[in-house]
Amino acid sequence: MTDGDYDYLIKLLALGDSGVGKTTFLYRYTDNKFNPKFITTVGIDFREKRVVYTASNPNGTTTGKTFKVHLQLWDTAGQERFRSLTTAFFRDAMGFLLMFDLTSQQSFLNVRNWMSQLQANAYCENPDIVLVGNKADLADQREVQEKQAKELADKYGIPYFETSAATGAEVDKAVITLLDLVMKRMEQCVDKPPAEPANGNGATKLGEAQPNEKKFFVRGPSSQLFSVKTTAAFIHEASPVTVMQVILQ
Amino acid sequence: MPQAADMINLGFLSDSERELILEVLRRDEDLRQAEEHRVRKLKTELLDVKRKGAKRGSGRYSEHSCGRCLEPLSRLTVFSSQCKMCNHHVCRNCRTLFPNGTWLCSVCAKESDLKKRTGDWFYDQRVNRFSTTPGHDLVRVSLKKRPQLKKRETAGEMLLRSTEIKPDPPAPVPRPRQKNQTDSKSHSSKISGSLASRESFESKEDIWSKPAHSDTESAENASISSNKTETESGRVTPEQPRKETHSVQSSPSGSSSSSLTIPVKADIVSADSTNPEANNAPEVKPVSPAPELDVDRIFKKSVRRTQKPPEYVSTVDLRDGLDKPDASLGNRSHSVPGLDVQEDDEEEEDIDSLVSFHKRTMVSSSSSLHSSKSTLGSMMSIYSEAGDFDSVEVSGDLVFSMSYDEPTQSLQVFIKECHGLAYGNASRQLSNPYVKCYLLPDKSRQSKRKTTTKRNTINPVYKETLKYSVSRSQLFTRSMLISVWHHGRLSRNAFLGEVEIALDCRDLDSPYEDRVSLMAKAASTVPASAFAQYKGELVISLKFVTPKKPTTEKIKGKKLVTEEGGELHVLIKEAKNLMAMKTGGTSDSFVKGYLFPTKAKTSKRKTPVVKKNLNPHYDHTFVFKEVALEQLRGMCLELTVWDREAMLSNEFLGGVRLSSGKGTVKIAKEEVEMDSVGEEVSLWEKMMQYPDSWAEGTLPLRSTMGKAKGK
Repeated sequence: MTDGDYDYLIKLLALGDSGVGKTTFLYRYTDNKFNPKFITTVGIDFREKRVVYTASNPNGTTTGKTFKVHLQLWDTAGQERFRSLTTAFFRDAMGFLLMFDLTSQQSFLNVRNWMSQLQANAYCENPDIVLVGNKADLADQREVQEKQAKELADKYGIPYFETSAATGAEVDKAVITLLDLVMKRMEQCVDKPPAEPANGNGATKLGEAQPNEKKFFVRGPSSQLFSVKTTAAFIHEASPVTVMQVILQ
Repeated sequence: MPQAADMINLGFLSDSERELILEVLRRDEDLRQAEEHRVRKLKTELLDVKRKGAKRGSGRYSEHSCGRCLEPLSRLTVFSSQCKMCNHHVCRNCRTLFPNGTWLCSVCAKESDLKKRTGDWFYDQRVNRFSTTPGHDLVRVSLKKRPQLKKRETAGEMLLRSTEIKPDPPAPVPRPRQKNQTDSKSHSSKISGSLASRESFESKEDIWSKPAHSDTESAENASISSNKTETESGRVTPEQPRKETHSVQSSPSGSSSSSLTIPVKADIVSADSTNPEANNAPEVKPVSPAPELDVDRIFKKSVRRTQKPPEYVSTVDLRDGLDKPDASLGNRSHSVPGLDVQEDDEEEEDIDSLVSFHKRTMVSSSSSLHSSKSTLGSMMSIYSEAGDFDSVEVSGDLVFSMSYDEPTQSLQVFIKECHGLAYGNASRQLSNPYVKCYLLPDKSRQSKRKTTTKRNTINPVYKETLKYSVSRSQLFTRSMLISVWHHGRLSRNAFLGEVEIALDCRDLDSPYEDRVSLMAKAASTVPASAFAQYKGELVISLKFVTPKKPTTEKIKGKKLVTEEGGELHVLIKEAKNLMAMKTGGTSDSFVKGYLFPTKAKTSKRKTPVVKKNLNPHYDHTFVFKEVALEQLRGMCLELTVWDREAMLSNEFLGGVRLSSGKGTVKIAKEEVEMDSVGEEVSLWEKMMQYPDSWAEGTLPLRSTMGKAKGK
């Protein structure tokens, strides 16, 4: 599995209250199996899965370009006593599956706290997160309404999925959505590095880059900082090539 | 048995639990090693691609040859042959096409691609967040040393290493001094339960940030920090024992078992005595999550935790490592023998430095027109450059050699001759050529060297040596710009062509003769910005101090604080890589600060002058009083760095403008746009977001403050 024969190593992490089903969710995702027994996770664990990711164009069409992505899916203990250990691992993950139990109002209420934890400990203040309400199959015990959860997710500007590790419903979709967000973020980070304002006009957009509506970098038009005189000189200097292009084209 | 492993933070776990976690960490390590291997391979590939392109650093050469493979470009490919990222003209073979029809030159494409594939995009982001840990409440605390982070290090790696450092956990090494504590610790650490875990985790976090400390220092720091927490958190019970532990620490003879929780700290201490890395441990800000707190507070606190540590920092001067995360490798390998063995030199040259060098030289060359503020002389030539540039079709070549002379510590540029130059005065078929050099990025007078002017020839022979006194190590980041000019006696000077030689890849030991084609100036399509020229960086910390009042709700109370009376503290820590303005390659610099819109009294602040230093440490704090948090959103902090010139006017070295980046602000009766970008904005926001804690950042200096500001 870990032979290095992949294009990207993407690290995701599942978090949420104890017993919401993080471990079974990941188990379902990686092995497509369900283990109904509750075995509390000791501190941390991870699972791996190799997936093929197809990059898409800004207009939504696929470019046909595919990548081998190695997913490292960190599983964290929900229990309070492991908290300091688990939060320490937040900083290493590129994306997060924030899970709660649809049959437990309390676990849903705690989503807010987990969000704060993430904001404080993740690699940046607004990492990519997918909100996951698990145990959707237990309809009769449901305590959290879809609308409620959807509203919360909208408030945070993150996608929401109702999954069932038992049936496998929406499990893949939640993970893939997160992966997609992370990949887009990656494109964005590389194509518009914030630390390189010198490089100006953002002409560096690669194929599959897509403007993400989540604002992450604050960028200003760099040209405006120049005095008139130097700008004029610049245009002057630039002119020969421009002229030539016009002629030749 | 809670010995070795617990100093690593697993103290609160049972043996079996610890084993489970270690097993996970080992699996993680396998994965990580595969990943490291892969990353190293990728980076090697990049270096290969990079080294093939001889004109890597330079944006200027004619459109007639490919900037990557140096093959001549055919006439027809001349147009639209410029890479959008680096502005090199490249041939078709050296392009990488993207599905949407755009393309980049092979190096740029490779670089972007690698940033993604190696995960560097992520680690860069993370470093931004966690390495710029701002300071703490004492204003004049020296922030000289910052915590070092290895960029790619993960929590798992940390943990695993710390366990492996002490390979045989169950056998406590005899530690005469703290024997008692050790014993009692082992008895009670299980009892102390979650508290113990908290402590131990703090110690781990801390290991991330600080490599080495002395015992005594860390003990002191620990006591400081626990005091602090006490006041901040208002938690009584957990706090109390912590203080006591300290008394235990400082007087080892004291009773070691007076309270239940003593062992927690003693735990760490005992580890200290055996392990260098463990010295970090007690330094920690003990503000990490306490189980009984609601998570919201935990959030606040952990934020503060990440921001606190730096001032407790060690005696080791880490300044050298500040620029690049990777530079810290050296330090770390000292404290952790053997563990970094797999990091070879190659790793040091990571993509970032490659990329940044690549871009920086690019940019500095393409924006040279804007840069020089230096002298009348260069000013003239600069404007003449602009004016006459397009009238001359660059032709011919230059024969030169370059070598470094160790005895005199100087770089020697031997200008031999030129062939087939263009006519500077086309109508009269006349050229009076001379050769001029700049050791970039310095485009000031100090960096200019000229040959004599040869009259009426397009094949001038100079055989002159131009010298630069410069230490060899500096050359790595610089490049030599050699240009040829026609000296017009009555008219303006005319540009005849130039070449830029990156010095990092050039063999300076043997003066071999080089014959290079002269290039026209690259017609850059990139609108250069105030950041276009690298002027160095400014390292500062900001803190908004909320008005003194009963501070129970202090942390949450951002909104509560509406009255004026707050203070903005601006710690001007240091500047890096300033431009040399004085002979001898130095500057006497100081920093000036304004907070706009200015209040009743002048808001001007100045640091003392730091003489003869291009990397000056000011460690000076500006305090702007009577400001409210809400006001800051509409305010703009301008910091400018100046070279002090006794008799003349001071020379501008660069500046930063911090604000929310939106709206305008009134400066000298003019509405000026708050054009802060990037870090300038994020640091300002961070300061407002977390009042009463330091937000530290390293900001690139603008080469001009632009707009209506006269200064």
